[in-house]
Amino acid sequence: MTVSLAVTGSDQSALVSPDLIRVSGSDSSDAALVAAAVVGGEAAFRELFRRHTPHLLQFVSRVLGQSAGDAEDVVQDTWLRAYPALVTFRNDSAFSTWLCSVGLRAALDSMRRGKRRGTELLLEDDDAPLELPHHEERMDLEKAIAALAPGYRMILVLHDVEGFTHEEIALQLGIAPGTSKAQLFKARRVMRVLLTGREKNDVQ
Amino acid sequence: MYNEDQDLSEPERAALAALPREISPGDLLEERVVRALRSEGHFGSERGVRRSWMTASVRIAAAAALFIGGVATGRYMLAQPSERAATANVTSPANDLPAAPVDQITHSKPVKNSETVVAEREMWL
Repeated sequence: MTVSLAVTGSDQSALVSPDLIRVSGSDSSDAALVAAAVVGGEAAFRELFRRHTPHLLQFVSRVLGQSAGDAEDVVQDTWLRAYPALVTFRNDSAFSTWLCSVGLRAALDSMRRGKRRGTELLLEDDDAPLELPHHEERMDLEKAIAALAPGYRMILVLHDVEGFTHEEIALQLGIAPGTSKAQLFKARRVMRVLLTGREKNDVQ
Repeated sequence: MYNEDQDLSEPERAALAALPREISPGDLLEERVVRALRSEGHFGSERGVRRSWMTASVRIAAAAALFIGGVATGRYMLAQPSERAATANVTSPANDLPAAPVDQITHSKPVKNSETVVAEREMWL
């Protein structure tokens, strides 16, 4: 359970041999693991992978509204993007937050590929009237989130589940913070309908 | 359009907070990712590792051959003078034998006496 060389902050990209950084056990800091993985430490990368993939997989599958099995391709894509970019990771934010932002971009690209194949729009127009679903039966929260339109789902997951601020969401998605707020407002209304099972006319 | 009345109620917050945070990935996902990263040249690909082992083996063999060759040459060189001396003692003609004529050794004509050489030079000048 030791890290023989702890590298933190901006020193993480220092030229150190992966052999010099012995990483074992789960008490190594993410920064030390990142530093070791950057210089080619496969063991350190595997430890990072094992530590953060369960949350990443949950996040990605929730954003996509898909089962975990379907989301694994996006998780793989996320790690393939994240590994070369590890050198850019600074300890300004938690590693899991940084990884989720990479995962979000991978999920967006996956959804855009789906959009080209004719699936739904990612983000609804702010001025578009809210179409509340007609849903008579109460729905489980997880299913209700999955049933949301992709744009609503993404912002609700980022804000209400993962705790991102509207400013962070706006930065990640390239939208205005006001758009994020408006989308969240609509997303919550639709979700409440799905959860309570009320009919369309009851809620409007 | 957005107003604070639409904030989450306490039961809603609690329900969202109670959502599972993790899913265990499939057993093969880690290997898939590591293999994909290796194929992109990270961590030292298997082919690269194999090639580096072959290169190291060839280098070690070459270094060993050079060392052994050097030692053998050194021994040979050290052994030569004494062997040569021993051979010379056995096979060289005795000092009391008459020396061979110069022309038998160099295959050149016997040197003329100096007066003749000087006379010939003056003729050319």
